Amino acid sequence: MSDKLRAFSGQIVAVLIALAMGAVIIMLIDESPIKVFMTLMRGAFGDQAKIAGTLLQTTPILICGIAACIGLRGGMFNVGIEGQLFLGGFAAAWVGFAMPLPAGLHVVVAMAVAVIAGAAWVSIPAFFRVRYGTNEVVSTILSNYVAVLLTSYLTIFLFKRPGGWSETPPILATAYLPELFAFSRLNWGLIIGLVLALFVAWFFRHTAKGYSISMVGSAPKFAEYGGIDVKRQGFLVLLASGAVGGLAGGIETLGVHHRFMEGFAPGFGFDGLIAALLANGSPIGTIVTALFFGALRNGSLLLETDTNASREIITVIQALIILSVSAQVLMKRRGDSTAGERRWKF
Amino acid sequence: MSTTSPAMTAREAGPAETAVELIGVTKRFGAFVANEDVSLSVKRGEIHAIIGENGAGKTTLMNILFGLLQPDEGKIVLNGKETVVTDPATAIDAGLGMVHQHFKLVPSLSVADNVFLGMEIRRNGLIDHRAQVEKTRELSERFGLKVDPEERVSLLSVGIEQRIEILKVLARGARTIILDEPTAVLTPQESRELFQTLRGFVAGGMTVIFISHHLEEVMEVSDTVTVLRHGKHVATQPTAELTKADMVRMMVGRDVSFDRRPRDKTGGKVVLEVKNLWARDDRHLPALRDASFTVRSGEIVGIAGVAGNGQTELAEVLSGLRPASHGSALLKDSDLTTLSTSAIRQTGLAHVPGDRLVRGVDGSASISSNLLMGRQFKAPWSRNGVLDWRAAANQAVEMIKRFDIRARGPEDTVKRLSGGNIQKVVLAREFTNDADFLLVDQPTRGVDIGAQESIHDEIMRQRAAGRAVLVISVQLDELLTLADRILVMFNGRIMGEVDGDSADSERIGMMMAGLQPGNASDEVAS
Ligand SMILES: Nc1ncnc2c1ncn2[C@@H]1O[C@H](COP(=O)(O)OP(=O)(O)O)[C@@H](O)[C@H]1O
Ligand SMILES: [Mg+2]
Repeated sequence: MSDKLRAFSGQIVAVLIALAMGAVIIMLIDESPIKVFMTLMRGAFGDQAKIAGTLLQTTPILICGIAACIGLRGGMFNVGIEGQLFLGGFAAAWVGFAMPLPAGLHVVVAMAVAVIAGAAWVSIPAFFRVRYGTNEVVSTILSNYVAVLLTSYLTIFLFKRPGGWSETPPILATAYLPELFAFSRLNWGLIIGLVLALFVAWFFRHTAKGYSISMVGSAPKFAEYGGIDVKRQGFLVLLASGAVGGLAGGIETLGVHHRFMEGFAPGFGFDGLIAALLANGSPIGTIVTALFFGALRNGSLLLETDTNASREIITVIQALIILSVSAQVLMKRRGDSTAGERRWKF
Repeated sequence: MSTTSPAMTAREAGPAETAVELIGVTKRFGAFVANEDVSLSVKRGEIHAIIGENGAGKTTLMNILFGLLQPDEGKIVLNGKETVVTDPATAIDAGLGMVHQHFKLVPSLSVADNVFLGMEIRRNGLIDHRAQVEKTRELSERFGLKVDPEERVSLLSVGIEQRIEILKVLARGARTIILDEPTAVLTPQESRELFQTLRGFVAGGMTVIFISHHLEEVMEVSDTVTVLRHGKHVATQPTAELTKADMVRMMVGRDVSFDRRPRDKTGGKVVLEVKNLWARDDRHLPALRDASFTVRSGEIVGIAGVAGNGQTELAEVLSGLRPASHGSALLKDSDLTTLSTSAIRQTGLAHVPGDRLVRGVDGSASISSNLLMGRQFKAPWSRNGVLDWRAAANQAVEMIKRFDIRARGPEDTVKRLSGGNIQKVVLAREFTNDADFLLVDQPTRGVDIGAQESIHDEIMRQRAAGRAVLVISVQLDELLTLADRILVMFNGRIMGEVDGDSADSERIGMMMAGLQPGNASDEVAS
């Protein structure tokens, strides 16, 4: 318990350091950090519509974050969530516009296909990982580029809406994910994300399978010794992570855009990964960190009209958070990097 | 502060027969007393061993001597002069050097750069790498500590890293060298080389303070022994006047028996039958060659041998962690060489692994969670795939009691426990598995003496319960205590078998060195 608490307070310190450094940068461009942060707050939580907007941005970050958590807990670094999200988004759109189905069923099938698309996409790096030991970080990163370009190709050359932008035809209304309020595009995706986060947290803590997977993640040699099929679990973990990545894309398509378009949902996969890392791989913690990143994104919309700071300052702050969190991880490991500590004291 | 070199100081202080003296040293951490009124003097030119169980306060005392900690009470006299050792720099100036339990090297730098870290040789304001390499080579030759000064530390073995730590200390002019559990990370060969070096030091007039809880080593290398128990000084005596049993009694505070355990002969049925088993090591070289043996129920079979003679590979093949290249290992009619680790466990294997911290536990998890491994799909710990953490905690509470695991409770993180208690967690899990065959690799390596005894008790209980037990150990004493039969391994082969009751350590020692018994004088086995 106290370990968890310590790790958690460490993360908070990391965020505060990042914000402080961000403040310095804002001062360097002759703007007041207080004004910028107030504007961000106002942009994120200023009124009902802004809060809904923040939650709308939070949803894909949260679901991608859960995808990352699943991987992290099982010892797999899925950096390909962005690509899985794009494929899931495209697949859902395709079911949405090309496959008429009764209302209710349509949206479920479209989401299922998005899930399958995400899982199928990650199955390639997953296969190479368990079969040949190929580092999944590298192969999943690379698979992002292929996914983004592949969906662009499919959209522009095969399914382009006649006369329109680089986007597919709109999906049928039967495939819409219902909205929660009249004044916002905020939809059931948020609820799905929250329920999923709770479920995944419960799964890892309270099921035998979850226990086995966590052991593969935290002590792979112990897991192997204890009779767990480490390779099989690793494969399944990546598959599940990719499936949730695909789901995130499906929800963006079916709930927000109602079509697939080029450059759809940029960076959500990466933001989700950062949110999960910042939450130490805890799905519940990811709800909080995803909300934080969602608020930054939504709040930043006001920055350029109300201050001299550019929206990119958000990217800078995120980068600083990553730096600050990784610096912490490295500092914690500093003891281990000295040779003698590689062996435990008996 | 004197500016003369430490070597000079040592000679000038000629009349001071004592290199180091501690008088009435007390150190508290909060309410906890780590050292209580400890007095001790170390004569110049001796190897002085400090022994005591884990937590006895050995490291704390040496940290005080070296200026890393400040005593709450007491005085330190160095070379006949009372000195307030405010920091390590003061200690180094007085000719002290310390090699810590955990090495503090920079892996990405070369050997020479590490040796001169913090006292770099400079030329025109830049580090003179060539001079550092030369000086390192010179030191290394003078003291017989073989290293390649230009090699990067990250590429070196722990044994060599330790040499570098010693060179660091020598480069700073130390005449009195403190080594904190130097052999804990070494192979027996490396330990022997280290002792050679230490003898060289004292022959040259230097003084060595050597912390250990391996009594064999202490007997072998030290001139004088100081025993600490629970932070208090128990005795300081010439090693020659002490037996191992005396030392154990002083360390533990009671008699601990390592005599052969009494037993009745039980000729049970064959549980494990290994036939012509071969396996390769990680470099794909044959490491286990044509091993054949059986283990019966109610029997303890010991595997003796110097580490690295195929024992690890044998254990890994039997537990499914390494493929066999030839042969079979039948456990109740199932060939283990064809099964996965989980299938082997279901067939009836319990395994106490040799590298318990890597394989045997998840150090970051709780005791409850560690004891759950292998049972997570079984009632009462889980139902329909949903875990019952209450049942897991109850189990942990019970095991903590039964195996006398010293912990705050079932939720205590395993890595916080001492080596002996971590081993008890592993034993608790494996010995309560209802497996017919127990594979126990290095049961007491790194375990306190008091705990060693209770682990041996537990293994004997398993024997009495009719289990077939295979104990692999590099400590021959342990096998002589426990085993009904002892198989000796050398270079991947089983050199011979010895009956436990009539075992003769001379004969076993020869087989461990690769000599065939009988014609031991001239023939070396391939
Ligand atoms: N910095 C510290 N703070 C609190 N307790 C400590 C500290 N250092 C050591 N101790 C405690 O003092 C006791 C003696 O430790 P140590 O000197 O490391 O023992 P040894 O080296 O004999 O195994 C142990 O119980 C340990 O937990
Ligand atoms: Mg110590």
